[in-house]
Amino acid sequence: MYAQGQDGLMSTYRSAWRTRSPRTYALSALIIGLYCALYFTDVFEPIAQALHLRNKWFLYGTVYSILMIGGGLYFLKAHGNSRYHKIRIAVNVAIQVVLGLSLPYAMAFFGHPDYYFSYFWPLKYDYLMPGTLNYLPWYLALYSVVGAFIIVPFGALFFGKRWYCSWVCGCGALANTFGDPWRHMTSTSTESWRFEKVSIYAVLVFILVATAMMFGDWFGGNQIGWFHETAEWTKYIYGFLVGSILSGVIGTGVYPILGPRIWCRNFCPMAAILGITQKAGRFRIAVKPDMCISCGNCSTYCEMGIDVRAYAQQNETFTRSSCVGCGMCAHVCPRGVLKLENAWDENTDKANAGQLTIEF
Amino acid sequence: MQIVIIGNGVAGMNAALTVRERHADWSITLISEESDHFFSRTALMWIFSGQLSHRDTEPLERDVYERLNFRRVRGRAVGMDTAAKRVQMGGELEDVSYDRLLIACGSRPRPAPFWQGYGDLTGVGHFVTHQDLAWYEREVHGGPSLAGGPPNADAHLSSSTADSPYQPRPAAAEARGHKAREVAVIGGGLIGIEAVEVAHAAGLKPHFLIREEWFWPMALSKQESTWIAARMAEHGVQMHLETEVEGFDSVDGLVSGVRTSKGTVAADAVVVAIGVVPNTAWLADSDLELDKGGAIVVDAGLRTSVPDVYAAGDCASVKWFNGIQRPEQLWYTGRDQGKRVGRALCGDEVTYKRGTFYNSAKLFDIEWTQAGLVGFDLEDEDELYFEESGTVRSTVRIVSQRGQVKGFNLLGRRWNHAVLVRWINERRSPAYVLAHLAEATFDTEFVPALSVPADVRAQA
Repeated sequence: MYAQGQDGLMSTYRSAWRTRSPRTYALSALIIGLYCALYFTDVFEPIAQALHLRNKWFLYGTVYSILMIGGGLYFLKAHGNSRYHKIRIAVNVAIQVVLGLSLPYAMAFFGHPDYYFSYFWPLKYDYLMPGTLNYLPWYLALYSVVGAFIIVPFGALFFGKRWYCSWVCGCGALANTFGDPWRHMTSTSTESWRFEKVSIYAVLVFILVATAMMFGDWFGGNQIGWFHETAEWTKYIYGFLVGSILSGVIGTGVYPILGPRIWCRNFCPMAAILGITQKAGRFRIAVKPDMCISCGNCSTYCEMGIDVRAYAQQNETFTRSSCVGCGMCAHVCPRGVLKLENAWDENTDKANAGQLTIEF
Repeated sequence: MQIVIIGNGVAGMNAALTVRERHADWSITLISEESDHFFSRTALMWIFSGQLSHRDTEPLERDVYERLNFRRVRGRAVGMDTAAKRVQMGGELEDVSYDRLLIACGSRPRPAPFWQGYGDLTGVGHFVTHQDLAWYEREVHGGPSLAGGPPNADAHLSSSTADSPYQPRPAAAEARGHKAREVAVIGGGLIGIEAVEVAHAAGLKPHFLIREEWFWPMALSKQESTWIAARMAEHGVQMHLETEVEGFDSVDGLVSGVRTSKGTVAADAVVVAIGVVPNTAWLADSDLELDKGGAIVVDAGLRTSVPDVYAAGDCASVKWFNGIQRPEQLWYTGRDQGKRVGRALCGDEVTYKRGTFYNSAKLFDIEWTQAGLVGFDLEDEDELYFEESGTVRSTVRIVSQRGQVKGFNLLGRRWNHAVLVRWINERRSPAYVLAHLAEATFDTEFVPALSVPADVRAQA
């Protein structure tokens, strides 16, 4: 019986740290400032040197891991009565500490380039650029290609987008640990959905074009001057706008006021690909018929702004491309209406639903 | 066509949506005293604790009234002129004329005999309406959460009456100068346990005063109830069983204690949660036929005794599967009745017939599911009961009659009631059900599967 409680949610809106207030705006501004300093200046280099951390990016990785561990403990205190969450957050933190920090750091000692095994193109867009593939040892280059074209989409086909977004991805893991106190800040409005469905595919098209141009340039031997410059420029703009501003500065900076998945929901091109594959795959949120009491816990605590309640009220088992499968909707449901599952077969609950819902 | 709906709750709103889907040009008016927006009453406890905002509990976007052209009248209906087809409104509000009328005005807290004669005693209230919520929030938390109260909270007051359940209530905490330190909740039902749970979440150790021998006898056996009471006691809830409330003690008009058959319990805020009754006192002088409990009697088509007047939801007395005439005070039946009566308002012949009973709830962190006939004392009734201990702690009770499963009462796990209901309708044997029981669980992923103990299997 302890498996599915919701001990940690009760007082959300009674904490000024968890509502839009001067202090959350200030915190947001602070995070944005730190990201700007990290990306666009070298003020953190001396600190990294002093800590023997090679460069500012390892300092960032260390701070990132610490925030994730601290946030993970907070998360487990709040939702650790769910086994799904317990296991998931442990995996998240382990992947960050091992694949996101220790391994890349250690690889250098053995004469390898530092490589992050938990990131793939197009989230880590560099890993499929011709320059990177040329520079990487063949086995890492092969891993990059296999990762982007086989592991990522097939993983989503079989287990849903969540295999990556909620179990492996460092951005998602930070959102679900350090960012968890603000998951209810995600907007569920129709406008936010209208924005999301345009913005996320726009970024996807952007990176597809940029990658295609880089390959075109490479196949042409970088000979056509104007094309070479345009390709490099496109990649640079993408890196600045999407890689730095949207994923880092904005994506993390607005956690305390707009929720922790702004980047994942609106901009991440990898989430776009995973979402499309998820729609065709096995993952779904099963809805128990005619048991929903419309309380709104699921929609409120959905970090992707999905109106889960609307599906539950319609007795509709569903798959949304934006759903990252964090499992919070099922966890907070006071009537046990929702269940995340992977299954190929058609919704078996429909047959059962006929027994309860009086048709008219 | 003028459709008028009294009540902006789950039954009324679903009826309005159903009518609008069919008739874009019909006039639809929703009369609501309590709130500007349709909200989920089942979520009041989470607004109190701060888990949800008022907006979060509203299933539809706030512009739905403008978008679907629903006219809203915020005020109290005080009577009906069925001959002139008019609803009389309180205060200065004009009468509302209808061609077809739906009454879906819900429930109000059951009046408590032990509360009578105390006049303006402050610090005692209910936990049913938005106004009750606001009162209880002020007593325990000093006010609403940072997400704020509902919009236009007082817009109805100019048309309200003194006996309205939507009257705001002063809080003793304000007069006393400090928030409640001792909370007592009277009544061992679902509303009672919610009031207890959120007081506990606020850091208090509430008193839970229950008249019966055990908590919630309507739904739980003594064994099951004891199992839950132990969990509540672990949380610091002070259980008082077989305790009859006799009255209140007060100082300067502020409550200071509850007098019971077992002595006085100190309390500076008291929630009276002894159930709800149909919110139909305003219909006492009308031509509408009411049942013994005051609910509006409807036929299988959800028609009342007056032409062109329908009723649905908590205030409607319908025929149950076992032939008894009484209201169904459940969220899902309210929604179902609302959708169905919406078609009746369009002129269709509809038949409302309830299937096998089921319900679920969450008592602190314990999930409860019930399906079929539990607690009906059937002739030749048999019962199978077992507890699961280990990673998952749960209880299973299966009621059967002459080798056929009739009902389930389940605690601690999540269950797909649709499967349970199917088994009942298929007249499965207890042995069959036990062999397949794990298939009906609906637990989240990684929760260990249910295993039925060998001796229980043998028993079946």
